[in-house]
Amino acid sequence: MTRSSQQRLRDELVASLALMAAVAAVPLAVTNDYWLGVLIVSMYFVFLAGGWNLLAGYAGQFSLAPATFAMLGAYGTGLLAYHWQVPAWASIPAGILAAALIGMTLGRIVMRLRGPYLALTTLSFAEIMRIVIGNSYDFTRGDLGLSVPALTNNRLVWYYVFVATVVLMQLALYALLRSRAGLYLMAIRDDEIGAASRGINTAFWKTAAFTLSTALAGLAGVLYAHFSSLVSPELGLILQTGLVICMVFIGGIASLVGPVFGAFLVYLASEALREAGGVQLIVFALLVILIARFFREGLWGLARRLLERPAP
Amino acid sequence: MNALAARGIAKSFGGRKALDGVTFAIDYGELVGLIGPNGSGKTTLLNILSGHLVPDAGEILLDGKPMHGMTPVRAAHSGILRMFQLTRVFRRMSALDNLVTAGCALGLEFGAAQARARELVEELRLEHVATLDAGNLSGGQQKLLEFGCCFMVPPKIALLDEPFAAVHPTMKEIMAEFIRRRHAAGQTVLVVSHDMPVIVELCRSAICMNAGVVLAAGETREVLANHQVIEAYLGGEAA
Repeated sequence: MTRSSQQRLRDELVASLALMAAVAAVPLAVTNDYWLGVLIVSMYFVFLAGGWNLLAGYAGQFSLAPATFAMLGAYGTGLLAYHWQVPAWASIPAGILAAALIGMTLGRIVMRLRGPYLALTTLSFAEIMRIVIGNSYDFTRGDLGLSVPALTNNRLVWYYVFVATVVLMQLALYALLRSRAGLYLMAIRDDEIGAASRGINTAFWKTAAFTLSTALAGLAGVLYAHFSSLVSPELGLILQTGLVICMVFIGGIASLVGPVFGAFLVYLASEALREAGGVQLIVFALLVILIARFFREGLWGLARRLLERPAP
Repeated sequence: MNALAARGIAKSFGGRKALDGVTFAIDYGELVGLIGPNGSGKTTLLNILSGHLVPDAGEILLDGKPMHGMTPVRAAHSGILRMFQLTRVFRRMSALDNLVTAGCALGLEFGAAQARARELVEELRLEHVATLDAGNLSGGQQKLLEFGCCFMVPPKIALLDEPFAAVHPTMKEIMAEFIRRRHAAGQTVLVVSHDMPVIVELCRSAICMNAGVVLAAGETREVLANHQVIEAYLGGEAA
């Protein structure tokens, strides 16, 4: 990667770390448990948005199943704890691993599909998984939801666990994207046939992106499961995936900071609009349309353009 | 032993025979022009040589060894690199990153790839646009860039599909000069082109195809003087 693109990536990392520093400072001013909870759920979406952005923004593969893999991760740790009393230190990595393995398998199957076919296949997978989990009463307790051991009830502890994990994710994504893997993923996104002709093993790298993306969704799921101490099939609603996609596009797709920013913005706004009922998704959908039409690079792209404007 | 050879390559699309028993050989260090009227099967042949299409019959030999089950990735790693008629650059990556990616994909270390990319950028006169996204380059610059990507790691054979089509004369000259220099250094190249003057000037030998078969192969001037070739170009009773 050349200096200018490395510089851009570093700027994005710094911006996202600055944002997380601000988030880390919030509890100094806000002690209200409800709002801390809202911020924690926002960070749950940061993982989903970050993972989806890696797959869609950098590798160009549009999956419609990020929320599903969060649900699978959450049920992974939840079921292990519920049926076999597996301790959290083992069930949490197992949940992430389960999501990643299922993601890798699905990734291998859908790898040859492109564009709308990929989206539709992942969408059907998402609905099938949600319905299977919802209907397997004996095993998953279906729509009643599954209670998961809460590791601690101290909101502040959870808050900083989420903050620290988001920071780790950002550092890991940064390291990945500035390595040759980042170049390969972007090359596949821009021109898959061209990438293969240059000797990039497109099948391998697409599967790798799919696996990593679902692992991040699984991570979101296991953390959420133990934080909320309840998992239900609602985690995998297509509506949740819709929110994730809105977050990435509004914040700025194919940037490190955009999805983080977008997740906070969209989730906080959806909390604020809760009173107004079902208008949230209409508002976000309109925003996405406007952004797709006028500033493809989202709010982060807009901010960068303003910052980079040459001095008069 | 030849650098690249094809034996009896056939390919049909539906009921139409695009290639009907194509046989030819290219020696090490040769610079061969592949000519022929539109629809004669040149690009189909290139697609087969680079692993993008599977032939119905026949085989391809690289270094005298038959290549079976060839895919574009395998072709690239075995040393067959191609340039497309419709440019395939990575549009949202900088020009330099395009080159670095091509180098890394064929096993160069990061630092080596960067150094090599800078050399090529200079040689292809792309310095002033090197940090721009490739999609913002002009059509000709994109061709130069893709051309450079084929030479990040010198291939055993470079397949160039219409590199000179719709390119500004200055850039055409940069590219021709580049090909000449590499050829002098021993690079094997197969170049498809409609631009007869360039082919005559650049390539000592040529292969002419029409309707899926090789009409003539050998010294460029002899190929162009072949009455079948003239007939194919002028369409019908001429000559």
